[in-house]
Amino acid sequence: MIISSMLVHSVSQASNTNIWLDILQFVVAFLSFFGFVLTSAVILILAERKIMAYMQDRVGPVHTGPWGLLQTVADVGKLLMKEDIHAAQTDKTLFILAPSVFLAPVIAAFAVLPLSPYVGVPGTALATGIVYYVALSSIDVVGIVMAGWSSNNKYSLIGGLRSAAQMISYELPLVLALIGVVMLTSILANTGLGTISIRDIMTYQATSAYPGRGVGFWDFVFQGFTPWAWFFLQQPLMIIIYYICGLAETNRAPFDLPEAESELVAGYLTEYSGMRWGLFFLGEYGNMTIVSAIASFLFLGGFSGPGVAFLTGLNNIGWGLLGNLLAIGYFVTKVYLLCFVFIWVRSTLPRLRADQLMQFAWLILIPVTLFNIIVTALIYLIMNGLGSPNWLFQIVLGIVNFAMLIGFIYIVGRATVATTRRAQAPAIRAQRRANAAGQLPEKTSAGVARGGQK
Amino acid sequence: MATNQATNFSHPVSDDTAEEIKSQEMLLNMGPQHPSTHGVLRLVLMLEGETVVDCTPVIGYLHRGIEKILENRPVMGGIRYMDNADYLSPMLNETAYAGAVEQLMGIEPPRRAQYIRLLTNELQRIASHLVAIGTYGLDLGAFTPVLWTFRDREGILSLFEALGGSRFNVNYMRVGGVLHDFPRGWLKECEVFLDQLEKNMVELDILLTANEIFESRTQGVGYIDQQQAVAYGLTGPVLRASGINWDLRVNRPYMAYREVAVRPQVRQEGDCFARYMVRMQEITESIRLCRIAIDKMPGGAIGTRTPIALRPPRGETYFAIESSKGELGVYFISDGGEYPWRAKLRGPSFVNLQILPEMIRGHKMSDTVAILGSIDIVLGEVDR
Repeated sequence: MIISSMLVHSVSQASNTNIWLDILQFVVAFLSFFGFVLTSAVILILAERKIMAYMQDRVGPVHTGPWGLLQTVADVGKLLMKEDIHAAQTDKTLFILAPSVFLAPVIAAFAVLPLSPYVGVPGTALATGIVYYVALSSIDVVGIVMAGWSSNNKYSLIGGLRSAAQMISYELPLVLALIGVVMLTSILANTGLGTISIRDIMTYQATSAYPGRGVGFWDFVFQGFTPWAWFFLQQPLMIIIYYICGLAETNRAPFDLPEAESELVAGYLTEYSGMRWGLFFLGEYGNMTIVSAIASFLFLGGFSGPGVAFLTGLNNIGWGLLGNLLAIGYFVTKVYLLCFVFIWVRSTLPRLRADQLMQFAWLILIPVTLFNIIVTALIYLIMNGLGSPNWLFQIVLGIVNFAMLIGFIYIVGRATVATTRRAQAPAIRAQRRANAAGQLPEKTSAGVARGGQK
Repeated sequence: MATNQATNFSHPVSDDTAEEIKSQEMLLNMGPQHPSTHGVLRLVLMLEGETVVDCTPVIGYLHRGIEKILENRPVMGGIRYMDNADYLSPMLNETAYAGAVEQLMGIEPPRRAQYIRLLTNELQRIASHLVAIGTYGLDLGAFTPVLWTFRDREGILSLFEALGGSRFNVNYMRVGGVLHDFPRGWLKECEVFLDQLEKNMVELDILLTANEIFESRTQGVGYIDQQQAVAYGLTGPVLRASGINWDLRVNRPYMAYREVAVRPQVRQEGDCFARYMVRMQEITESIRLCRIAIDKMPGGAIGTRTPIALRPPRGETYFAIESSKGELGVYFISDGGEYPWRAKLRGPSFVNLQILPEMIRGHKMSDTVAILGSIDIVLGEVDR
């Protein structure tokens, strides 16, 4: 698939672009996304099992294939062959439709992501970028609520409702966190007109200023690849908040309340089995991939890496192909690094409670992201008023944002302590009362017996 | 759909403002098949949104009639069935049963047997607490602690396997002593294991205790005050977490505990976090006790000579030990025959479970599992 896309790429560069080549590029891009989502789900499931096994002092899957590499393949085969079970009195239409409604937006959301300079949907479709991604990622919740409602199961219902509340709440800080990046592009554009196209945001993270410009080697390395200009350095707090919201959006630990195993059995998935369940699973891991992909584009320079821009800029079929392959490699590496953090977080943290989850979104994340927007704008206004260049603004913004990150961690710590103190208050009060009255039972058995009489 | 959800048990809530949209409390049967009811416990929850309005525990799904079985087995044969009562701490159960018979017969086991019992009991306590802590993490959604604690528990089970021939249903205690002496090098292995365990506990402490989410999930949740705790007859870590210093190893010392001083672990908060912390501290304390037992391990016989067909004298007795979950008592009546006339267990899990509805009422649904896990019940002992 990739090879064929490369060939098309070289052809398109050789001749003038025409409509057929655009269509071919579209088809290639679509197939690539589809393949990428499905294979990455399979790879991620195996990776998660292996990595978590390593962190938990066990071996993970070992029996199917070398090092258990074929485990997920075998699992998918099993799921495909399983009986399609409907519980009694389910709402059949919704029950059958729900997995598709959940999975389709995940795959569709990839449309705005270019995998490499060539493999991406051509034309102006990419221009809607962030808005399109956010819109599609919020359709997911419809699928989950449908599944929860149609299953005719109380656990499913609770899971679906929790999910609705959670995803709607975390959509807001997620978008607000991305606004900081969009503001940055509008400042860097110098025309005051920023972009929401994900590919354009990526190009804004590549500056033309790097050491040794014009020298062949340095050009090869740094053309289009300038990690010091990546937005995660200028908005470190925002990538963390985006990431937290991404965890909540994808229903991953510690925000996996909708499918909280210990409380709701399997939440909205309880009544699903076979491939319908598999579609949900696929959608969840696809969601993980896309959240990581968006983060890597917006904050980590997307598919840029040493050699990509240089090689594809050579206008040579072979080098262009190599450049595209490199780009896909960099992109996939960044995505999987972020996915690794997902897995890492899952094996470390316990689950939050529903009300704590809501408090965290509405009382901490949304104010902080709003504050970040104001601070970004204020710093720009002040720096612009003083007539300073863009790079100085970026440095100051980065420093301020790092300070905000430290403040954020402090605030979260304080908030946790405050809530805990509030929750502990009755115990502390009762203790004081008991101490004041001197009614503490003595250590002897007789004392305990006395204390027992209310 | 909505009509499906509403059962005969739910009561419509009177609401003047919305006449068309009626909100009802939802009746949710949690269990007996549920991942985190710690066995086959069934909780009938009345939910209003996520808040639990009412909770009724329904028990009896694991009833095997252990007490009746004990009446139909020779006295010595009953020990094997005691393993299955609280299946997470068989050593402690056996000690309680053997202790009851010994008390009735007036046998004092040799010192070496007493110290072996202390050592195995403390190891068993560690194993039981490890399971409690690990599954408690699992209840709260932390996946890693349970695997770490089960790994550590595996070491204890291997030690038991070397000692009694079986990992789980050890059948190791005997009336008047124990079954086997230590195999060669067992004590050394035990010491190595304890050193490793101490290191692992520090790791677990960092992972779980210091976690802010864990703290906010447990602190202030499921509060029991002192009066309540005593009124409900709670014992064990649940009682000590409510600030009452009551530990049978100290207050009613039995066997080798008369010579080894136990430092009871008490906390004042009375919430889930306190109960968790008491267990963590008790593991540390048990490690210390194990080391003392290994150091002071006396020589001599491992048991008094008792016939296989024991005939305890006529009479009744009650003997209680501090199990990992609380006071585990055995009430034993003999009519002078080969079989016990009556053997009754006072299971700490059963008694501690009573306070559950009191604690859960008004909490969120997620807290249900947090509170249930903090009591650390074993359904094998609740239903017997």
